[in-house]
Amino acid sequence: MANTADPALNPVSSPPAAPEPASKQSNTKMDQPQSQSQPQPQGQKAPKPAKPAKQQQPPKDKNASAAPADAAGSDKLSPAELKKKAKAEKAARRARERAEREQPGGGAGGAAGGQGTGTPAGKKGSDAGAAAAASAKGQKGIPRRGSAQNVPQSAAAELKKKQEDKNVAVFGHLYGQQRRTTVAGAGKEVHPAVLALGLQMRDYVVCGSSARCVATLLAFKRVIEAYTTPMGTSLSRHLTTHLSHQITYLSTCRPLSISQGNAIRALKLAISSIDPSVPESEAKTTLCEFIDTFISEKITVADQVIAGSAAQKIKDGDVVVTFAGSSIVKQTLLTAFKQGKKFRVSIIDSRPLFEGKNLARTLANAGLEVQYSLMNGVSHAIKDATKVFLGAHAMTSNGRLYSRVGTALVAMSAKERGGVEIPVIVCCETVKFTDRVALDSIVVNEIADADELVVTQPPHQLTDLPDPVAAAQPEPKKGGKAAASNPSPTESNTASNKDGSPLTDWRDTPNLQLLNIMYDVTPAEYVDMVVTEMGSLPPSAVPIVHRMSTNL
Amino acid sequence: MPPPSAPLTPGLASFLKSLKTNPIDTSIDNLISLLKRRQIRHSRSCATATAYLLRSVISACRTSDASKLIERVQSVGRRLIAAQPREMVVGNIVRRVLGLIRDEAEDDRDGDFSLSEAGSESQPQTPRAGDDPSEALYGRHDGSASKPLSSLAAHPISMFSLLSQPESENSLPGSPVSASPSGRLPGHPQNKDIRAEVLDGINEIIDELGQVDDQIAAYALDHIHSNEIILTHTSSTTVQKFLLKAAAKRKFTVIHAESYPNNHEATHATVSGTAPNNDELLSTESFQKPLIAHGITVILIPDSAVFALMSRVNKVILGTHSVLANGGLVASAGTRVIARAAKVHQTPVVVVSGVYKLSPVYPFDFESLIEYGDSSKVIGYEDGDLVEQIDVQNPLYDYVPAELVDLYITNLGGHAPSYLYRIVSDHYRKEDISF
Repeated sequence: MANTADPALNPVSSPPAAPEPASKQSNTKMDQPQSQSQPQPQGQKAPKPAKPAKQQQPPKDKNASAAPADAAGSDKLSPAELKKKAKAEKAARRARERAEREQPGGGAGGAAGGQGTGTPAGKKGSDAGAAAAASAKGQKGIPRRGSAQNVPQSAAAELKKKQEDKNVAVFGHLYGQQRRTTVAGAGKEVHPAVLALGLQMRDYVVCGSSARCVATLLAFKRVIEAYTTPMGTSLSRHLTTHLSHQITYLSTCRPLSISQGNAIRALKLAISSIDPSVPESEAKTTLCEFIDTFISEKITVADQVIAGSAAQKIKDGDVVVTFAGSSIVKQTLLTAFKQGKKFRVSIIDSRPLFEGKNLARTLANAGLEVQYSLMNGVSHAIKDATKVFLGAHAMTSNGRLYSRVGTALVAMSAKERGGVEIPVIVCCETVKFTDRVALDSIVVNEIADADELVVTQPPHQLTDLPDPVAAAQPEPKKGGKAAASNPSPTESNTASNKDGSPLTDWRDTPNLQLLNIMYDVTPAEYVDMVVTEMGSLPPSAVPIVHRMSTNL
Repeated sequence: MPPPSAPLTPGLASFLKSLKTNPIDTSIDNLISLLKRRQIRHSRSCATATAYLLRSVISACRTSDASKLIERVQSVGRRLIAAQPREMVVGNIVRRVLGLIRDEAEDDRDGDFSLSEAGSESQPQTPRAGDDPSEALYGRHDGSASKPLSSLAAHPISMFSLLSQPESENSLPGSPVSASPSGRLPGHPQNKDIRAEVLDGINEIIDELGQVDDQIAAYALDHIHSNEIILTHTSSTTVQKFLLKAAAKRKFTVIHAESYPNNHEATHATVSGTAPNNDELLSTESFQKPLIAHGITVILIPDSAVFALMSRVNKVILGTHSVLANGGLVASAGTRVIARAAKVHQTPVVVVSGVYKLSPVYPFDFESLIEYGDSSKVIGYEDGDLVEQIDVQNPLYDYVPAELVDLYITNLGGHAPSYLYRIVSDHYRKEDISF
């Protein structure tokens, strides 16, 4: 956020600032910005524009008096002063370079902007002594440039420092690169369908293990359809590498799910088993057919089979508890409802995705009796439950259930009630089985953006009319040109600080970390039954089934 | 609670302010309505309000007759409890005040007679108006082991004394307090300053309420070692103070579950060190440097991630709403799964709580202790269509059974859950348990 926004300030301020001695600026300011930017942890952007406005006033005056002297002749400067100037300049340059280097991939565009404007500004600064015929009007721009130049540096440096300790130490191995934020920088080999899918997955538009698997396969089908074998190579050899570009791109958007991995593996196997002598069009048709069969066999039909057999487990009068929004559980419940069974569903949901809301809506629209509570209500929801149905992200080879974070708590609560244990039934396609094993939720997991935990929209904005306008105003400006929007984001920022979450500035708050993990591992003893398209199994049967299904 | 109207919102502060000026009956009604409307809701605020109210009640009582005072306090207490039966601290404070009056009355009597326990037992019982007949019965049979059963059979109301029964037998020889429950004061009207002494006692209770967190925090270093990973839940001031005390000396990591729909704002404010804009907590007093300012790493997690992280946690420290005599506790919703997850991972669960939260109530029906809150916190108005179709639940409290708790730390020290009944009987006289 701050990354992309900060360099964006540069274009704003550098043009008017052009003529003024940046050297002097840095001379007077060099130690100032450091100390200044340190105590301005909140909002980053918030205090900045305000500061140049008033805080810079004194330096401006100094500049005004100093500028003529400067203009009169830089030889008038004492050697010590010159030295200081040079030193400051060097420091500024170095800091700038560092800042540029530190811009992570996400802010690539921003970094480029910073570079582009930053360097010329610096150059101008060096010969600024001559150009110091600064009019009174020009003075206005001066401080801004100084600050705009300096703040990104120090802010970026600071940000870097922060970024390091914002990673929760225990999960350090899981913080890979940031999720991709734009399609910029994606390889030219990446098919548009895949580009779009990547962003959809990142934004949880396509969410859920099966959905991601199907969407990936469909996108790959289009890739294959659009594919032509280059000269001098065969389809079975080259298509795999072509696909792996797509796969790499997808995995930078969001780490691949187990089901995606399994599907991709199967697809690659199918590609490599194509005889090189087969003509390209025929091979492509075969592959597309393979994908279609894979989807229907492993997911669409499998889901129907699972829903059918899991629905049989639901009896009249049951109270079914489920966690978050699993598509297969939804299908199961709807199937059971269509069979005329009378039961109640209790959905437990969690922050920050609230996947259960959609499930609740679908079920309620279908006419089921739905009760909805959040994680804090687990003990209450489970009290009168008779069955727990859970979806899965994956089943590990040691029989553990790897699913949306919180699942383990629900399964545990079901096993808590002394004596009468509530059966916990997992619905899972075999395509989600993996030969990986997991003991805890820390070694294998996925870290989502911690900013998702910050409550973003203050609810009063719904009713308060002027506020959305104010909030909406900076948006387009930011999108178009971050230029003049300097003050307005400030306002909206402070406004959101006031009534928004106190966490808005968590990245600037030392020692505060937010952790947003996606999955947890439910011990095998909490799972009574795994319903798959191959039948209902105990969790210990997972490795066997996995072997069978991969050997087929 | 919209922020602009915050200063106008009736709450503890406004109540305490009005207490001085309003006539006593108005104040009582005022507190009752505040409790009913849940405008005073934290247990400490309730306790403080009750203590101040009772102090004014007693100072407004123009009598030094202990039985009349008891009667008056009982009637006020009953009304307060009826206003909010789930706020158990209200009852606790009333019981403590009743105990105070009885103690003072007895001290007077003891001073006058300078008699031994045995002597006082042989003293003829003076019937008292408004006194529970079971007490007299109980008092007379106190010595023998078989009698309490019969008294229980006769008065189902004293089922509560089941818990304190073993204690009373133990302490019978030692403590004069538990042995002579019924006051024999009416014969001695010259006990001039019983009221003043009771008022002093109430002031002590009020002081205790103010200091309890610091007293508990004093034990922090006994329980937190260096480099520990501690999980906590909700924005409890007691827990924060406890951790802060340890943070002054030791470095550790705190994982803070945010307790989403009901307390997450306060939790976020607590972890990030923003001043709580909650005026019900006396903000000047409760505001403090956050843990992060002491160099403690605080990791905020959603409630759902508790199980995933529990394998790394060394200790779970929880605040509570009230503690029951059986060692179970009523704490904010979500506590139970956390305690349970800790149990599954063999992680010790420590509950910090002032003694004033210790309630002599035994939970025969857990459901009755649970309060349900505003469901719009779970699903907002933007999902209005959904709210119409489904049943949204937002429980505010969880009952956590005693077996999930490893240790209680009160202002008196650390206790095993099985020992709590003893503290209960130390603090409340059994004739006051159901007043």
